[in-house]
This record gives sequence, C-alpha cells and structure tokens, in this order.
Amino acid sequence: MKKYIYILLLLVALLPSCIEEPAQQPNTFKGNFESLWKIIDTKYCYLDYKHINWDSIYIVYKQRVDTVKNQYAFFDLMGNMLGELKDGHVNLYSDFDQSHYWKWFTDFDPNFSSTLIFNSRYLGTDYRSAGGFRYKKINNGKVGYMYYDDFSDRFSDTNIAYIFKSFSDCEGIIIDVRDNGGGYLDSAEQLASYFFTEETVTGYISYKTSVGHSDFSKPVQITTPSHNTIQWARPVVVLTNRKSFSATNNFVCRMKLAPKATIVGDMTGGGGGMPLSSELPNGWLVRFSAEPMYDVNMNHIEWGIEPDVNDSLKVVDQANGYDTIIEKAIQIISQ
Amino acid sequence: MKKIVVLLLTIFVCLCVQAQNNDNQRYLLTTKSSTFGVGLSDIIDPYLSPLVYSGVGLNYNLDTRRFLSDKNTNYSMQSTLALSGDFLLNPALSSEMIYLGINYGWGLNYHFRLNKNLKILAGGLWDIDFGFKNVSRNINNPVNLDMSTNLNLTGLLMYDWVLRKRTLHFQAKLQSPLIGCMFVPFGGASYYDMFEVGNLDQSFHFSSIHNKQGLNQTYTVDVPFYRSTWRFGLNIQSLKYKANDLVFKQDGMSLIVGTTFDDISFGGRKKLAPQNFISTNE
Repeated sequence: MKKYIYILLLLVALLPSCIEEPAQQPNTFKGNFESLWKIIDTKYCYLDYKHINWDSIYIVYKQRVDTVKNQYAFFDLMGNMLGELKDGHVNLYSDFDQSHYWKWFTDFDPNFSSTLIFNSRYLGTDYRSAGGFRYKKINNGKVGYMYYDDFSDRFSDTNIAYIFKSFSDCEGIIIDVRDNGGGYLDSAEQLASYFFTEETVTGYISYKTSVGHSDFSKPVQITTPSHNTIQWARPVVVLTNRKSFSATNNFVCRMKLAPKATIVGDMTGGGGGMPLSSELPNGWLVRFSAEPMYDVNMNHIEWGIEPDVNDSLKVVDQANGYDTIIEKAIQIISQ
Repeated sequence: MKKIVVLLLTIFVCLCVQAQNNDNQRYLLTTKSSTFGVGLSDIIDPYLSPLVYSGVGLNYNLDTRRFLSDKNTNYSMQSTLALSGDFLLNPALSSEMIYLGINYGWGLNYHFRLNKNLKILAGGLWDIDFGFKNVSRNINNPVNLDMSTNLNLTGLLMYDWVLRKRTLHFQAKLQSPLIGCMFVPFGGASYYDMFEVGNLDQSFHFSSIHNKQGLNQTYTVDVPFYRSTWRFGLNIQSLKYKANDLVFKQDGMSLIVGTTFDDISFGGRKKLAPQNFISTNE
C-alpha cells in the first residue's frame, strides 16, 4: 500500500510539467508586434477568405518595427498593419488612441442625409421617440416611418407595440437603418422577429477550432423566431446604405427572408464576422473578427448584402428636400 | 439500620452502573474548521487574454469531518465548501479581472495510525467547481465560466505535538484532481454562439491528469486557547488545464486563520440527546 502512495505522490509532483504553457511575449515593440501578429494569425477568421498573405505582412512590418522610435509611431504602424485586413471590426485600442479602418463606407456614396430625414416631409420636429426609434406617419398618414441609428439602444416589446399601434392605419412601414453601425445581435434578432410568421433559418455561424486559417467548426443555423404576440403583417421596407454595418448587416440578412419585406437603398457595409478581443503585453486591446457569419445560402456577409431594390440619393431630389430612397420605399408600399 | 445501609448501597451501586452505562455510550463528533484567507493569486485565461493577471484574493473554507460510524473509526467522511473572490490586473495595469468561485466537495478517507501522535488520512474527494471570470473591457468575450467536476486524491498528515500546557495539532493537506469533466470553450467562440445559437460542440471535456493537473496544499497548526481552538496556516494552490489548444492556469497563495471545534448533533428519532444534554428546543 505504501508503495502505491509513494508512486501517486511522485506522479502528482512530476505531472505539472507536462502541460506546456505558451510563452509570454516581453513588453517591447518587438514583443508587442509578435503578439499582435500571432493573435491575428491564429484567431482572425477571414485571412483565407480575403486571400491575405499574413506571413508576407509579418516580414514587411517586422522590418518597420525596428525603425520605430516611440509608442505613437508604433501604434500607427500596428494600426496600419491591421488596416491590411480591410475590416471595420478590427481595431487597436490604447490609452491615447483607437485605430480604425473606415474604407468600408468612405469609399462609397453616403446615400443618407440627416438633414433630409429631419425635414418636415419626414420626421420634422414633431416625431415621437421610443426605445431608440424615432417615428412618425408620413405621406399623408399612409406610411409609418421609423428611424433607428444604433442597435445598442435597447427597445422593448412594449415600445414596438406602441409604435405599431400608432401605425395601425398605415399601408406599410419603413425601417430606416442607414448609418446604423450596429450593436447587439440579439436586438437585431428581436426586431426581425416582428416580421416573421414562423421560425425561419436565416443564416449560419461557425467559429475557429484551431490555429489554422481555415480551421472552422461545422456551421450552425441561426434562426429568426416569430414573435408570439406582436406581428406586422403588412409591407415593410428596410432602408440601407454602406454604413449599415455589423448587427445592422445581420438584421438585413434576416429581413431578406421576411415574408413582406423589401430591402431598398445601397449595399450594406458588411461586418459579417462576430468580433472578439484580446490583449498585447503593453495592455493595448485588439478587436478582430473571430466568427464568420453566412446568409441562408452559406455566402459570407463580410462584404455586405445587396438590397432587393438598388437606389441612391439623387442630388436634384436632395436640393428639393426629397430623400430619393425614402420616396422609393413609399412608392413600393403604395403599389 | 442494617437494612437502611443495604438499601443505600444497592441504590448507589445501581446509580454507578447507570453512570457507567452512560460513560460507555459513544457519540460521533464532527470536526468543523472554518477559515478565512487573504493572499495573492495569478490567473491565465487565454479565452479572455493571453496575459497573466495578478492580484489579491479573499477566501473562506468550511471543512467538516466525522467517522462513518462509532464502530468503525478507520473511515471518515469529509465535506468541504470553499468560496473565493479575486481582484486582478494585467501586467500593464490597463485592464482588470474579477474572479468569483465556489467549490463543494464530499469525500472519504482511510485513517492510517502510525503512532499515538502521527496519522495519515488518504482517500478521495468528489467536487463540483464553478468559477466566474470577468474582464469587463473585452468585446463579446468579457466572461468565461469555469465549470468542472472532479474526483480528487486527498492526503492528510496529522501530528500532535504535546507541550507542557497545550497540544499543538499540525496538519499538512494535499489534494489533486484525478479524473472528471470540465467546460472549456473554443478560443474563437463567443458566448452568443455557444448559449444563444446553441453551438456547444466540443466545449465539454473529459479531464484526467493528462490535461488537468493541480495541487492544493494546506499547512495548518491548531492552537488551543482557553475557550477555543484557533487555526493558522498557509494555503498554496496550483491548477493547470488544457483543452481546445488553450492552457489555463490558476495559482494562489494565502495566509489563513480560523477556528476548529468538535460538535455533536442530536436529532430525529434515533439520535436522541442524553438526559444530561440540554437543548434550546426543550
């Protein structure tokens, strides 16, 4: 018996050395560069999809790290390296700055003007506001118009019930999510659920299972439920532009399959990867796309979603106080 | 007069016999030790961050032990309850982590009595562990949960050092996980994906010494004072586990202080208190 106890004690003493811990990078420019490069190399989900040669980027930027003189220059260099990913969900956060990639909307027409939607033809100044929605009946009371600019603004079923009640005599409603940069995914699901008559598979999601660039789990269905008590059964038009990003992109992906929904405007900005975050030895935070999401046909939605009806703001209309895209939506509802 | 003396003697003998019967009655005592600890801890949770978070922690432990029956004093059963809370910072002090943990265990030990003052207890303890880790500034991965159940090997060395005025009771306790099950998410999976979409494939893992190793060491001395016995000691914890290519680590060291006492419980129909025990229920 004593022999076995000794063997067990010996095993307990020796075994902790069997699990190897990953090495911690030092808090130097080189150590932070190595750490950031590795986080993206092992966790970022679109390297293969976007045909990015991350090893080449390592070589290019490693040489530049040696020339960096201060933390501001180092931050800018790392921000530029992350910019190679062309992803609005990738940011570097320090105590003095935040890096951005904005070309997903700056390279395109805005197709939205807040001045226009707040003129008297649309929201004006006498609109109502509930749960982040600004809403009002337009087009002589025939169309309900809701502007929602942030999926981080939580809304309740009661908010929506009141809004729908105020639009009860309208022929249809417009949900304007232009310039909505995203927020909570569950809010996107909740808003979409008011327009589905039954639970519907509206997309897929997978996650990385290992360090390889294409090591993903089997995609799992994302469903959009039908809300139990609140339903909008008449036409609904969703307005989009290139700044409809992230959770808004996800909302549009769901609404593409809603029975009486039409997507009008410009292509969405994308942001189809669910972002996670990690840290560098110097304490900077890095956000990156980690889980690719797909539409119902297993197409990536990272670059955005095409509208059903493509339209853009016309200069002449703007000059006359008209929002071309809202007018198009009114026309679709009135048909 | 003679009759009276005989009668008194008879009554005295009967009383003595009755008293002796009570003396022979054996009651199982439960040894309860409750301690508070304060110390330092390090946590590596690569789901939340690749960096080592270091900080301070508080913990509370309740340990109870009693023999299985009054006829067999070779086996004792033990139950443990541990609560802990840590506040930790990353090396750059730019982010904080909150850790809250609870652990409950139940086990059996065999008593090896090496001599009058020295004995070894060896056995197993099955435990359930739940931990909550929060790095609030993280995006979509601010929380990770430690959920596991383990069968642990336990060993306890007890030594009584008899001094002139009091006896000091020394204990060295070792505990190590042997086999069990644990929840470890993939590093690239968000909790939205796991718990809202239901994508929990390969998040629950069989664990044994090949992927989970740890040693919980507690060294204490019980010092009897006038009305109570106080426990002072040191606890050193080390735990490392690996799953889904992630290596987690949790180390801690704390100074502990508390009390230990033996108590006895009576209740129900079978375990009635003797007449000379006074209950507040009476």
